[in-house]
Amino acid sequence: MALLEVDHLSVTYTPRDQPANRAVHDVSFHISEGEFVGLLGESGCGKSTLGNAVLRLLSPPARITGGRVTFDGVDLTTADEEKLRELRWVDLSTVFQSSMNSLNPVIRVHAQFADTFAAHKVPGDVTERATELLELVALDRRVLRAYPHELSGGMKQRVALALALALRPKLVLLDEPTTGLDVVVQRGILTRLAELRRELGFAVLFISHDLGTVLEMADRVMVMYGGEIVEDRRAADMLREPRHPYSRGLLGSYADPRLPDVRVSYIPGRPPDLSRPHTGCLFAARCPHVEDACRTTHPDLLPDRHGLVRCLVAQSDRLPVVTLGSADAATTLGSHFPATGTLDRPADAAEAAPVLTVTGVSKRYTTRRGLRTSSVEAVRDVSFALRPGVVTALVGQSGSGKSTLARIVTAVERPTSGEVRFTGDDGTDVRVDRLRGAALRDYRRHVQMVFQDPFSALNPTRTVAYALSRPLANFAGLRGAAARERAAQLLESVGLAPAGQFLDKLPHQLSGGQRQRVVTARALAPDPRVLIADEPISMLDVSIRAEILELLGDLVRDRRLAMLYITHDLLSARLLADEVLVLNQGVLVERGPTREVIGAARDEYTRLLLDSIPNPFAKAAAG
Amino acid sequence: MAPVAYFVRRFLFFLGTLWAAVTLNFLIPRLQPGDPAEAIVSRLAGQSESIDPAQVQAIRVMLGTPDGNLFDQYVQYLGAVLHGDFGISYTYFPYSVTHMIGQALPWTVILVGVTQIISFVVGTLLGTWAAYRRNSRVDSVITLGSTFLGTLPFFWLALLLVYVFAITLRWFPERGGYGGGSSPGWNWLFISDAFQHSVLPAVALLITGPIGWIIGMRNNMVQSLGEDHTRLAVARGLPRRRVAITYGARIAILPNVTGFAIALGGILGGTVLVETVFNYPGMGRLLLESVSSRDYPLMQAIFLFTTIGVLVANFLADLLYGFLDPRVRKVESV
Repeated sequence: MALLEVDHLSVTYTPRDQPANRAVHDVSFHISEGEFVGLLGESGCGKSTLGNAVLRLLSPPARITGGRVTFDGVDLTTADEEKLRELRWVDLSTVFQSSMNSLNPVIRVHAQFADTFAAHKVPGDVTERATELLELVALDRRVLRAYPHELSGGMKQRVALALALALRPKLVLLDEPTTGLDVVVQRGILTRLAELRRELGFAVLFISHDLGTVLEMADRVMVMYGGEIVEDRRAADMLREPRHPYSRGLLGSYADPRLPDVRVSYIPGRPPDLSRPHTGCLFAARCPHVEDACRTTHPDLLPDRHGLVRCLVAQSDRLPVVTLGSADAATTLGSHFPATGTLDRPADAAEAAPVLTVTGVSKRYTTRRGLRTSSVEAVRDVSFALRPGVVTALVGQSGSGKSTLARIVTAVERPTSGEVRFTGDDGTDVRVDRLRGAALRDYRRHVQMVFQDPFSALNPTRTVAYALSRPLANFAGLRGAAARERAAQLLESVGLAPAGQFLDKLPHQLSGGQRQRVVTARALAPDPRVLIADEPISMLDVSIRAEILELLGDLVRDRRLAMLYITHDLLSARLLADEVLVLNQGVLVERGPTREVIGAARDEYTRLLLDSIPNPFAKAAAG
Repeated sequence: MAPVAYFVRRFLFFLGTLWAAVTLNFLIPRLQPGDPAEAIVSRLAGQSESIDPAQVQAIRVMLGTPDGNLFDQYVQYLGAVLHGDFGISYTYFPYSVTHMIGQALPWTVILVGVTQIISFVVGTLLGTWAAYRRNSRVDSVITLGSTFLGTLPFFWLALLLVYVFAITLRWFPERGGYGGGSSPGWNWLFISDAFQHSVLPAVALLITGPIGWIIGMRNNMVQSLGEDHTRLAVARGLPRRRVAITYGARIAILPNVTGFAIALGGILGGTVLVETVFNYPGMGRLLLESVSSRDYPLMQAIFLFTTIGVLVANFLADLLYGFLDPRVRKVESV
């Protein structure tokens, strides 16, 4: 008997004033002792709901509407509170998403360990045990005396992992454990997790949208779409030959940035609305291989080449063969996005006169603690130039000074030394670091931002038309019907057509990708010369990231914009950027054309960044 | 940052605000048009008759109206405030303002202070209970019940109490702080008499007092029970009650602590409505009388007292908050 058996489990959300939403539908799977299983899916596919249902942590309006979860012979769906409480953490523990919020903010780390031991009547000295556990995750015992807000995101996540292993459970459920963490920090935690699993032998259910991580870590991978499991097979097989068109699409959105020819694909469209009844395959609307039968018959999850797949086309072996990452994959998968190296660029782009020049810029922050002052040099002697029609990527870990540079370029902050020059269309030359008042305002119309989080970058109570009308009124003096007309043009230029459908929508009525398009349209409204994109795709689903990159790439080419693309994601930098600047602790350590810097990194730090990217292909090649 | 530095910073901030409040209290009346001495004389004499300069001068001398330039007055004023000297009351001449406030203050502090503390404790407990049993019958009764009581006008409730328990049933005296038979002092007769008199106003305050705390506590706690760290505590197998107290109530109470401190500070201003309805000899009634008889020194002193009360209470809340919420001790980077 397997350790965890999930049997025809369904979970439905029944909010008071909205139609019921079947988030998880008829899901069955099992996990054996010591097995590492990945659960892969995009936001809204039901993977976290499934995780919470397994832990019996669902809160209203979500509830289990069918099926059973059996853990080690105990039916969790019917177990009473006390029985459940005894089993929790002793046998089944969890680490939540690194939302920085899974530790109680008002008590010390020590107390959170003490709470856990006390609840299960573990004898012995709390400090001693907790110190041992922290050593497992390579943390110093001083952490015990800290409050959660005094720890970094990576440290908090390590504490959460140590806490999860406190009672030596048989199964650990990890829900997006490294999402939001820096790639180097993530690498550290994942390496430690793999070692601990070998040492302690616990089973893992690893829930994530990050395909690279899941495929690298897991023995077996389940792909979830629209509340159903659509594919379930060994990770190595999944890499070699994914059988569900959706799995193929996801895998197509991933590539090794170091390869000479990098191509990714994306899946057009958006996930199904689960509050409406569906007939046929849930993926049919987005599927490149859709057949007539798919629209009328709902496929079952059936055995297929040592795994399970829920696809009529695959089950009848009519799925076209595809080599992921190859040129012909694009035609088979429907849409694709080749890396910039293979894109047509205006030949003069590299020689064009720079529109923005940063020369020897440093920024020092001073902190005062009582009478002592200490200073941190966030950026040291950085120089670069942005040219029209060229994307310059600025890559580095969090804390490397990327955002400080963005604030200096947008004149939100002034550098401590060095200069920033902007050359206007008419050849006028401005010292950006000395601008004030009206001149500053005038400068800002030329330099616009695309923000990281499209969910908080738009006022939730205002329509799209209003969001776009603000910069139009402020910078172009357009109002009323003229502004509305211009807003519609902007929406169409970012691929939201027909614009009439979007103008009067509120942000919550749009998908993440659509919101990011609106944010981009708003940045384009004053007709800027320079676009600063700060991690514009990191909050978006994997399957649509390439779509936004493609949009940004097209805008740069068509409008001859200069773009500073800030990211920690080297794959996207490889795809979008013409040149790359690598920033480490405020210093530029490497720079050059993208293909050279990423394909053949010379600096040690650049190589560290590259090596930290989860790379399932390396594992497949080694195994 | 060491907690000591946090407390030192809060204290300096407190001193700064206090100085600003005292200064404003000095400036605002002097920026108003008109001469208080002339106002008194014309009120005494009636509008029709002309004002005798000698009379005005006499009143000035009697009231001790200051002379010298504004800065000298300010220095004198600061010195007087430090000594607790607020001058002489116009209406209760020859009693000093300090004496009048000293008479009224204990009545208010005891009545309102005690009921505020009880309201806070009861309200917080009921709110916690409602959140703990969210969406149950207990929650509905507590939440709907307190919302209903909160919509009733306070003065109407108070009058109802007077009508039923004082006039109809004659269980309690209907007005005043103590009866004619006793005189203030530490004797049993007076204390039991004062207690009898305070029951009805206290009940009136206690009916409406906890409502804000109940609603605030319940909503905060429902939110903190939905946080990830609370769900993780449940997943860790912590007993339900422990989760509710350490992870739910412990965090939910924080905003209420600030609210409570401000409410305690406001006591010094009195509760005008309740003291008027019950004709209770506290600060609220004193304030009302000083306003209606234009007793400027008394008014000014009461305002100053109220401000200082709120400031001190806020300062204490800050200190308490420093202990309750480690996050606020964090250094603010420049």
